[in-house]
Amino acid sequence: MFKLKKKNLVYPALSVIFLLFLFAATPALRKPAFKVLKYPLTLAALIGREAEGLIFYHRNFIQNEKLRKEADFLKHKLNDAEEAAIENERLRGLLSFKQKTPLKVIAARVIGRSADNWFSVVIIDKGSDSGIKNGFAVINYLGLAGRVIDAGYSTSRVMLINDPSFSVSALAQRSRQEGLVSGTLGRSLIMKYLPKDSDIKVSDTIVTSGLTEAYPKGLTIGTVTAVGEEFSGLSRYATIEPAVNLSSIEELLIIIP
Amino acid sequence: MKKLIFAGIIVVLALSQATAAYYVHIFNIRPDLILICAVIAALFYRPRWALSLSVFAGLLKDIFSVAPFGMNAVLFFLWSFLIIKLSRVISLDNSYVRLVLIFIVAISDSIASMLILLLSGNFISWGVFFRIAVVGSLYTTLFFPLVLKLAIKSSVIES
Repeated sequence: MFKLKKKNLVYPALSVIFLLFLFAATPALRKPAFKVLKYPLTLAALIGREAEGLIFYHRNFIQNEKLRKEADFLKHKLNDAEEAAIENERLRGLLSFKQKTPLKVIAARVIGRSADNWFSVVIIDKGSDSGIKNGFAVINYLGLAGRVIDAGYSTSRVMLINDPSFSVSALAQRSRQEGLVSGTLGRSLIMKYLPKDSDIKVSDTIVTSGLTEAYPKGLTIGTVTAVGEEFSGLSRYATIEPAVNLSSIEELLIIIP
Repeated sequence: MKKLIFAGIIVVLALSQATAAYYVHIFNIRPDLILICAVIAALFYRPRWALSLSVFAGLLKDIFSVAPFGMNAVLFFLWSFLIIKLSRVISLDNSYVRLVLIFIVAISDSIASMLILLLSGNFISWGVFFRIAVVGSLYTTLFFPLVLKLAIKSSVIES
């Protein structure tokens, strides 16, 4: 039987080493050599890495803990920075609108909402001490948001345009078709009392008509998303998507007449 | 002392109702956390304290509401009173019975509120009413076990 001897292994090993050296040293043969050696090299690197992991387990564990804490801290910082950037952008929009608009406005921050489901009302941090009175129109830089219904000394309640008790005279910007916009307590508004032959289409912009004294003419209310016929068949109605995102308002502007 | 801590919990939940609860709305409807507190008070405290805490919860809701002031205080007092009366006739110890009870109270509260609001000159469509009465009551019922668990964990009531 063939017996493996040390002497028998020396020559083949030397031959392999020589061949490898030859392949590695000759530029033309280097590429195929590396192609062949890639897998054993990867395997060796893997074994080496695992061995290092086992040997320096404790050091790595402590380092990992430290880095994880650092990552959590940085994540928190990043979140703060993102929040500040978003707020900055929002306030910049508000400031730019405040500078551009000819209306005299007071900026206020939303601090709460009505506790019951019957009304769509927000509480703002400005009241009669800032010159706010009942009935003042409330906007943000995107359009009409509501009106002040209860001005306290340092806080006020603002009824949003999607409240069922809210209504404002409005018109379609394109055709000048007039109607009455009311809230539905949902995401959309409804424009009622449109004549049967009214010229109103989907994607028409609806603005305030100025007939309701409290609201200046031309404030954007929203865009028409659907037009339908009333049950009686005598008039039509339009569903409007408000320009202002009422579910996420944080700052508002109160128009001082 | 337990009653005072529970009053503190009512204040915290009332503040949450006016701020954070908006983030969990479904179809613009939020759970009525303050009503849940009034029902818990009626179920777990002696009548005098139960009625006092219910009126306190109602007044807090009135502060954050646009409805005529005192409406919720009177309604919460009434629901607590009726729950106390009912607890003398039937056992309200079972969890499922309590869930049915909170659902009935929430629906009754919606109906009574709508009638008061209509009488005080507000316009409420049937669609809005059904949305608040059905979705709101179901949502309040779903939140009842959570608030009850919070009260039990805070050791202000015994399960």
